[in-house]
Amino acid sequence: MAHQAHAYHMVDPSPWPLTGAVAALLMTSGLAIWMHFHTMTLMSLGLLLLLLTMYQWWRDIIREGTFQGHHTPPVQKGLRYGMILFITSEVFFFLGFFWAFYHSSLAPTPELGGCWPPTGITTLNPFEVPLLNTAVLLASGVTVTWAHHSIMEGQRKQAIQSLTLTILLGFYFTALQAMEYYEAPFTIADGVYGSTFFVATGFHGLHVIIGSTFLAVCLLRQAQYHFTSDHHFGFEAAAWYWHFVDVVWLFLYISIYWWGS
Amino acid sequence: MAARLLLRTCPLRVLQLRGGTAARPLQRAMASAGGIPTDEEQATGLERRTLQALKQGKDPYSILKPKQYTGTKTDPHIVPSIGNKRLVGCLCEEDNTAIVWFWLHEGEPQRCPECGSHYKLVHHELPH
Repeated sequence: MAHQAHAYHMVDPSPWPLTGAVAALLMTSGLAIWMHFHTMTLMSLGLLLLLLTMYQWWRDIIREGTFQGHHTPPVQKGLRYGMILFITSEVFFFLGFFWAFYHSSLAPTPELGGCWPPTGITTLNPFEVPLLNTAVLLASGVTVTWAHHSIMEGQRKQAIQSLTLTILLGFYFTALQAMEYYEAPFTIADGVYGSTFFVATGFHGLHVIIGSTFLAVCLLRQAQYHFTSDHHFGFEAAAWYWHFVDVVWLFLYISIYWWGS
Repeated sequence: MAARLLLRTCPLRVLQLRGGTAARPLQRAMASAGGIPTDEEQATGLERRTLQALKQGKDPYSILKPKQYTGTKTDPHIVPSIGNKRLVGCLCEEDNTAIVWFWLHEGEPQRCPECGSHYKLVHHELPH
């Protein structure tokens, strides 16, 4: 049987990139159809296909890496580069929304009353729930680091406990933020204040949910003995993403909640 | 997948009776003390072969940078190969942009047509 003489992974043909592209097409056109004709069928179909694609593609990666041993050190290095580049692209994504916020808030127009916060907007007290949210995310950063060290030191029970705690803190943040959204005295339709507030914090909240899901998958994998004390890149990627989400919140808190109030 | 579902619904006791094994608690024979496996215990496939070889000081999959040789007749560049010939690209001097390519065959060391450095093919097997 011919074996490769290099340490890289030549991936077998896979249908998931195609199904992912089709899902993107159905979601975008479905969004347009929803806006004009008030039916969600196409968009829902696209969303379903997206979820199926993600599940099957990442399941295949786990099979290739953990069960078949294709993730040699050079392959792992490539995955690290990939995750770093992806997170960098997300940084730029949020930079855009921060740019929008500062553009509108540093030189408030006469229509807003020439001041920030604009006339008529009652801002949230940054030292109430938003401060609690900050503490929750910072604590989750500590617990995820605890989980990492537990894995590296071979401590299974501690790894599972600290990872579970991290996920619970993530849920707590999401629940608190959902409550804040419900109780807020302003909406997304309340001028540029509402737009910048809810789009920036809203996308952040979505990333918290994504990050919590990623960590939850890691918890399931850890419980099933996928990770070794030296090789657990899936977990590291989730932890990097989680720290990124935490840092974005800190910038949101300082800029929008505190300075902007 | 159907087989998996069947296994899940079939009581353990029935399976044991069929298989003739005595009931005993599942043991993870290889898990290290804390409960998280090590690469030594669990790495598989190409990753395992790579790690085992590196532990023995060997690099059959060319992961590390090639060793430095002076390239003289007594200290030729050693070129590992799984076959009886391998392509060599000689960077005659540092920062050269033109690479000198040639096939290196097994047997007598060959010299780079441009700078004259000596190269010797050395056969090695891939671990399996």
